[in-house]
Amino acid sequence: MPDLLWFVIRRLFGAALVMLALSFAVYLVFYAIPADPAHLACGKPCTPDRLEQARHFMQLDQSAIQQYLSFLKGIFAGRTFGDGAAAVHCNAPCFGYSFPLARPVTTLILDRLPITASIAIGAAILWLLFGVSLGVVAALNRGRLLDRLSVGVALVGVSTPSFLLGLLAILVFGFWLNMVPVNGYVPLTESPVDWAWHLITPWLVLAVLQAAAYIRLTRAQMLEELNLDYITTARAKGAGETRVVVTHGLRGVLVPIITLFGLDLGFLLGGAILTEKVFSMQGLGDLLISAVAQLDVAVVVGVTLFSAFLIILANLVVDIVHGVLDPRVSHG
Amino acid sequence: MSSSVAAAVSPTRQALRRARKDRSARLGAVLVVLLVLVAAAAPLLVKLSGQDPYTYHLDLLDPARGNAPKGALGGVSSDHWFGVEPLTGRDLFSIVVLGLRTSLTIAIVVTLVTSVVGTLIGISAAYFGGWYDAVASRVFDFLFGFPQLVFMIALGIIVPAGFPRWLLLILVLSVFGWASLARLIRNQARSLVAREFVEAARSVGSSGWHVITRELLPNLLGPVLVIATLAIPGYIGAEAALSFLGVGVPPPTPSLGRSISDSIAWVYTGADPWFLFFPGVALFVAVLGFTLLGDGVRDAFDVRLRRTT
Amino acid sequence: MAEPVLEVHDLHVTFTTEGGLVPAVDGIDFSVAPGETLAIVGESGSGKSVSSAAVMGLLPSNAATTGEVLLDGRELIGLPNDELRKIRGNDIALVFQDALSALNPYYSVGWQVAEAYRLHHDVSKKVAHRRAVEMLDKVGIPDAARRVDSYPHEFSGGMRQRVVIAMALVNDPRVLIADEPTTALDVTVQAQIIRLLDDVQEEFGTALVLISHDLGVVAEVADDVLVMYAGRAAERGTVRDLFYRAAHPYSLGLLGAMPRVDVPPKPRLTTIPGTPPSPGSIRTGCPFQPRCAYTHLVGERCITERPELTPRPGEGDHEAACHLGRRPEALL
Repeated sequence: MPDLLWFVIRRLFGAALVMLALSFAVYLVFYAIPADPAHLACGKPCTPDRLEQARHFMQLDQSAIQQYLSFLKGIFAGRTFGDGAAAVHCNAPCFGYSFPLARPVTTLILDRLPITASIAIGAAILWLLFGVSLGVVAALNRGRLLDRLSVGVALVGVSTPSFLLGLLAILVFGFWLNMVPVNGYVPLTESPVDWAWHLITPWLVLAVLQAAAYIRLTRAQMLEELNLDYITTARAKGAGETRVVVTHGLRGVLVPIITLFGLDLGFLLGGAILTEKVFSMQGLGDLLISAVAQLDVAVVVGVTLFSAFLIILANLVVDIVHGVLDPRVSHG
Repeated sequence: MSSSVAAAVSPTRQALRRARKDRSARLGAVLVVLLVLVAAAAPLLVKLSGQDPYTYHLDLLDPARGNAPKGALGGVSSDHWFGVEPLTGRDLFSIVVLGLRTSLTIAIVVTLVTSVVGTLIGISAAYFGGWYDAVASRVFDFLFGFPQLVFMIALGIIVPAGFPRWLLLILVLSVFGWASLARLIRNQARSLVAREFVEAARSVGSSGWHVITRELLPNLLGPVLVIATLAIPGYIGAEAALSFLGVGVPPPTPSLGRSISDSIAWVYTGADPWFLFFPGVALFVAVLGFTLLGDGVRDAFDVRLRRTT
Repeated sequence: MAEPVLEVHDLHVTFTTEGGLVPAVDGIDFSVAPGETLAIVGESGSGKSVSSAAVMGLLPSNAATTGEVLLDGRELIGLPNDELRKIRGNDIALVFQDALSALNPYYSVGWQVAEAYRLHHDVSKKVAHRRAVEMLDKVGIPDAARRVDSYPHEFSGGMRQRVVIAMALVNDPRVLIADEPTTALDVTVQAQIIRLLDDVQEEFGTALVLISHDLGVVAEVADDVLVMYAGRAAERGTVRDLFYRAAHPYSLGLLGAMPRVDVPPKPRLTTIPGTPPSPGSIRTGCPFQPRCAYTHLVGERCITERPELTPRPGEGDHEAACHLGRRPEALL
C-alpha cells in the first residue's frame, strides 16, 4: 500500500497547487472589473468623499495583489472590514463578504449548498444506476430490440437540453396530471418525505438526461471490453456469463465511468444552475445568477472558486479511485 | 478479407460509402440540411410569412387570461403560423426561425474557431513536444477543471455593457471549447509523429511547417471533422442554456433559449404551453439532427477517440 | 497406443458474416491420448485456432459448429452452456498466445489462478489461495508466496506465460490446448516454456494439443502432427512421418522455411510463394493448388477435384491430401 499512499500524497499536493493558481486567476479577472462595487454601497448622494470611504471600507483601495493576499489570509484567520462600532467581522474560513447582502460569502454558500447537493446527489445516484445497467444490457443484446431501445433513449437524452425536459416534466406531471409539486424545496431535516417528493421531478429529469451519456459510454466500453482476450480466458476457465460480464467485464468499464461520474457530480454540485432555475430552487446557481445581476463581486468570486474547488476535489477523488481500481496506475 | 478490395478506395470514399448505409446518419444529414436551409433563409421565410419578430399584436391577446394568446395552439392562424408570444403578441414563427438562425450561426462559428485553434495547438504540441507540449497539456487540464458555465455567467459582471453579446458568447464558448478538441488531436497526432513516414520526412530535412501541413494535417482531417461535428450540438445547447439564463444574446434579437426561459411562467400556470412547444421543438430537432450526423460521421470514419495519452 | 481422451471427427466451423457464409474449418479429424502431444501446424488463417476454440465451445454466436468432439467418449457439441462450463478449465484448459492480454490487469495473478480453482472446487478462498501459491511455485515462479499478490503488469513476459500455464493446470485438466504459447516470447524464454509444458505433461499425464507454426518447437515436443491448410487437413502423421517423409507439398514448403541443424545447409531457406487463400475463397480443386510447384505433374485434377486424405508410407496412420501419389521431394 505505500505505493498507493505516495500516489495519493502526490495528487493532493498537485490539487492544492492547481487550486492556488486558479484562485489567483479568478481573483485577478474579477477585480479587473470596470464597474465599481463601491458605487452601489456608497449611498446617495454619492460624493467622491463617501465613495472613497466606501472603497476603503471594502478594502478596494488596495492593489489587486494585496487584496488577494488578504483574501487568502481571510480563509485561515478571518477578516475584519472597517474599525470601531461600524466594523464588519467575517470569521475564518472567510471567502469574502457580501456587502449588498450583509452576510459573509461562506455563510451564503453553506446556506444554499444543501439544496444544490440534494438535487445533485439524488440525481447522480439515479443516473448512475440507470445508465450503467441499461448500457450493460444494451451491450449484451447488441443489435437486438433492447439495444436499439436503450440507444434510442440515450439519443433523445443527449439531444434534449435539461431545461427543456424540466419544463416539459413540470407541464405534464405538475400541471396536467397534477401529480407532483412543480417547485419549492423542503429541507431534509424538516420532512424527509416532502423533501424527496419535491425533488423527485428534478431528480428524474436530470437522471434521464445524464443517464444517456452513461448508457452510451457503458455500452461502447463494454462492447470493447467483451472482445478482449482476458474475457475469453475467463470463459475458458469455466466462468459463467454473469461472472464473465460482472467480475471481468464491468471491472474494466468502471474506470472511465467513474471518471465521468466524478466530474459530472463535481460540476453539478458547483451549481445545478439550469435545474435550479427551471424548478425555482434557491441553490448555489441561483445565488450566482442573482449576484451577477447585483454586481456582488464577492459572491461571484466565492461561488466561482467554490465550484472550481469542487471540480478539483472531484478530479482528485477520481484520480485516487482510479489508482485503487487500476493497479497499473498506482503500482509503478 | 475485404481489405484487399477496400485498399484501392480512399478513406473518405469508404467513409461516405459506410455513411450512406447508416440509416440514422442519413436522417441526421437530412435534418441538418433542412435546419441549415431554414436558418440561412430565415429572413426570407419571415418576409414570406408577412410578419416580423418585433411588432406587438396586443389585439391577439386575451387580457382575461393574463394576456395569453387568443385561440387554440397559442394563437396559430394563417397570419401567425406558430401563434404569437403571450404578453406581447409578437409573431412566434419569426422568433423561432430567426432564433434558430442565431443558434446555428453561433454554434457553427464557435465550431470553426475551436477546430482551427484546437487543431493547430494540438498538432504543434504533439510535433514539438517538450515544454511546449507540457504547458499545453496543463492548460487543457486547467480548462477542463474550470466551472465553465459558472464562469460564463460570472463573466457577465466584468464585460462592459457596450460589448456586443453575440461576440462575447462566441469568445467565451470558444475559449472553453478548443481544449477538448486540441487534446484529442494532440493524442492522435502523437501516435502519428512516432510513425515512420513522419520520421522519414524529418530525416530528409523537411521543415516543421511542412511536416505539420503536408504529413500530419491530411492524416488528421478525419478525426478533426468527427470531433467538430460531434461538438456542434453541444454548442447549440450551450448557447441556448446561456440565453435561457439571461446571459446570451440580448433582446430583442430572437433566441430560442430566451424564448424557452420566457415560457416558464406560462408553463407553470398552464396558460400557454405552446409558447414552450415551438421553440422547444426547434431546439430539440437542431440538437438531435447534429447529434445523429456526428455519430454517423464518427462511425463512418471509424475514429476511436482515445482520451488517454 | 492408449485410448484417446479427446477425439474430433469431421469438425466444420462456418461463420456467418456480412459477406455470406465463411467455412473456417472444413472437416478435420484428430485425437490425442493422455500423456501425448498433438501438434496442429499451419499458417495464420488456416483454422487451427478456430478448431481449438470450437472444441472449447468458445466461438462467437455467428459461428456454427458441426461434427463430433468427444471427451472420453462424451459428445461436447450441442451440450448446454451450463454443462460446457463445467468442462472448460476443468477437463480441458487453454493456454493463450499472449499472456499479457490473456490475464486480467485488474486482479492479482494469485486471485486469477485461485478463481480458476474455485470455479470448479467448492473450497474457501484461503484454500484456493494456497493452491494458487502451490501452482505458481510448480510452474517455476520464484518466491511464489510473495509474488502471488502481484499484478500481471509486474511480471516479465515469460513469467506471465508461466502464470497462464499455472492457471490452466490448477484443476489437473485431462487436455491442455496451448495456442501458440511461445510466439510472443524471446527465444530463450520460449525454450523454457516449452520445457515447462513438457515437464508438466509428464508429471500430470495431460494430453497436450499444441497449436503452433514453429516447426522447431513441434519437432521437440510433438508425438503426432496435423498440418492444416485453408481449414482442411493437408497432412497428418507422427512427428517423424512429417519430418522425414512429408508427402504434401505444403508440409514440404513449411519444412523448407525452417532452419535446420540436422541436415546439410541449403544455399538459402526457401519460402512458399504467394499467400494463403482466405477461407472459403477456393471452392473446387485443391486449396493449395495456386501456390503449388507440382501442379504440372498432376494436371487438371488439382483444379477440378478436391484431394482427400489418403494413406502414405510411414509409421502408422500417415496420410496426406494430395493428388500427387509420390513424395514430391524426389521429383526436384
